[in-house]
Amino acid sequence: MQHFAELFIASVLLAGLYAAMAFGLGLIYGVLRIVNLAHGGVIMAGAYAGWWLYETVGLDPYLSLIPVAAAAFLFGVVIYRLLVRRLPRGAAGGVQSLLLLFGVWLILRNIAYLLFTGNDQTLRTSYSTKALSLANASISVNRVAVFFIALAILLFLHLLLRKTYLGKAIRAVAQNPDSCTLVGIPIERIYALTFGIGTALAAAGGLLGATLFPFSPSFGSAELLKSFVVVVLGGLGSIAGTAIAALILAMVEIFSILIPGFPVYLTAAVGFVLLVLVLVLRPGGLFGQRVLG
Amino acid sequence: MTVSPREPAAAKPRVPRGPVLPWVSRQALVGLVVVVALAAAWPALLHPSAYQKNLVTLTFLYICTALAWNWLGGYLGQVSFGHSAMFGVGGFVSARILLSVHVPFAWAWIGGGIVAGLYALLWGHPTLRLRGPYFSIATIGVGEASRLVFTYWEWFTGGSSGLSLPIESGLKARLYWWGLGLLAIMVCASYALRKSSLGLGLLAIKSDVEAAADVGISPTFYQDLVLFLSGLAVGVTGAFYASYFSYIEPGDMFGFVQSISFVLMSVIGGVGTIVGPVLGAIVFVVLRESLIASYPQLYLGLYGILLVVIILFEPLGLMGLFFRIGKLTGLVRPQVVAKAAPGGTGAVRE
Repeated sequence: MQHFAELFIASVLLAGLYAAMAFGLGLIYGVLRIVNLAHGGVIMAGAYAGWWLYETVGLDPYLSLIPVAAAAFLFGVVIYRLLVRRLPRGAAGGVQSLLLLFGVWLILRNIAYLLFTGNDQTLRTSYSTKALSLANASISVNRVAVFFIALAILLFLHLLLRKTYLGKAIRAVAQNPDSCTLVGIPIERIYALTFGIGTALAAAGGLLGATLFPFSPSFGSAELLKSFVVVVLGGLGSIAGTAIAALILAMVEIFSILIPGFPVYLTAAVGFVLLVLVLVLRPGGLFGQRVLG
Repeated sequence: MTVSPREPAAAKPRVPRGPVLPWVSRQALVGLVVVVALAAAWPALLHPSAYQKNLVTLTFLYICTALAWNWLGGYLGQVSFGHSAMFGVGGFVSARILLSVHVPFAWAWIGGGIVAGLYALLWGHPTLRLRGPYFSIATIGVGEASRLVFTYWEWFTGGSSGLSLPIESGLKARLYWWGLGLLAIMVCASYALRKSSLGLGLLAIKSDVEAAADVGISPTFYQDLVLFLSGLAVGVTGAFYASYFSYIEPGDMFGFVQSISFVLMSVIGGVGTIVGPVLGAIVFVVLRESLIASYPQLYLGLYGILLVVIILFEPLGLMGLFFRIGKLTGLVRPQVVAKAAPGGTGAVRE
């Protein structure tokens, strides 16, 4: 039972990270109807940016979230303005945007190889090995911090989408872009901002992930798949759905080690198996595919 | 677009058709025969060096993978970033067959291909109900998971140290002919697939899944079938590749780079066309040998830049460029363009 509780806490903490990573992917898809394949690349870039800021300037990784997210936001806006905007919308642009953003991902990866080599890096701060003790369990400080920061990010997004003019405009564009132009919403600007926000979320997720796991330039493809599983499970745009889906994914991953004889290397395939199960059992996601509702 | 009933020859009497391959136009058949004859005469006439012959053999294999990828990515519009999984399975299964029993090489290659096709069905049957980008992301997962799992299955793949295959003298020279043969089969199969009712079904599914299902085309069956065929072809090519190098390791066979190259070759040439992937594979090999061999640290970025530039400026790749020039000079009629890549990547959508 003790063991079970520890694993449960571990999955809840991990779920926060997954939810933060996934939300950006879901947001961009919900509004622009584009799957941002550069998501994995930006996750990787965020991890390296945090690591680099810590190694050179000594900036604490949690403080560097703000400059890294801001830079990623600008990067996202630029990518949208320069590249994505030029593609046709809808089904015809689907394959094109996929290949284009895949190309962006490859370029990001190559830059990371050139700058930082292909070796695994870890972000080690003075408190990386510290742990809180709760009852008999001990929990890494970093994991708790990541969880609460991810929670704060999600809460911020919820307020942004619900309470501000920008958020309402984003939701409106997701529902019907044509009507938005009629009531004077600058949809091109909303698209650019949404792309920027989604990219910033990916970078923030990558940075948070870097405080927990080692990373290399190929970091991000597993995270992209996990984000995708969360989006499919939880539906689009709903924070609660995303959170629950992230929790399910994290629990399945963590509890799979309880299965006797379960080989560790198969954890890589857990996300995929879960994806297939969802597709077979509930193709519409757990709560139906609501679009930013 | 009309989906014709199953009497393609009778429906359009004015198009001249050869009696043997009713799907292939006469010009295309002549072109194919000429190209294959040239490739067959090349070693005897010009006495190429071992390096050149090696390069051409590899090009044959790459063309086959590009065409096989194109069946799924071009005809069906389901872009796979995980085709290295079947390439690797084909290679390793054939290697294991060759190492454990004494059978002719061809049997092992076919065996590897069939297992690869079945492997494709295993992950593809559930994921093919995803359309477009969703499917593509799932295939990234398939590729990564396959690479990890097969690297850890040391009893089967030899782990990171790889497997050495039995070596037979003269096999490399013979594989030139096998590769050429496979290439000819793949080109014919691509035409057959495109022009048959199966190909029309795929096109219908690509355009609109629900509408296709309404007129009696089972998306599940058609997609599974084409994925199996694509996996089979990629698997056989992987098996050839394994025998050709007589040494394979999972990091290379299942690598992300293999998957990218399959995508890239079709994109360079023109997704959804038949000549396109062939040209794309040739350009790809030339590019890799000339440019990337000198700057190995830049290849991922170069692939990325190529993808971005092609998609932005000419989504139909070299074929798009060809059609554009043809239209300007009036040499190519617009109908031909529309026919070459129906519902392609968007450039020539009706």
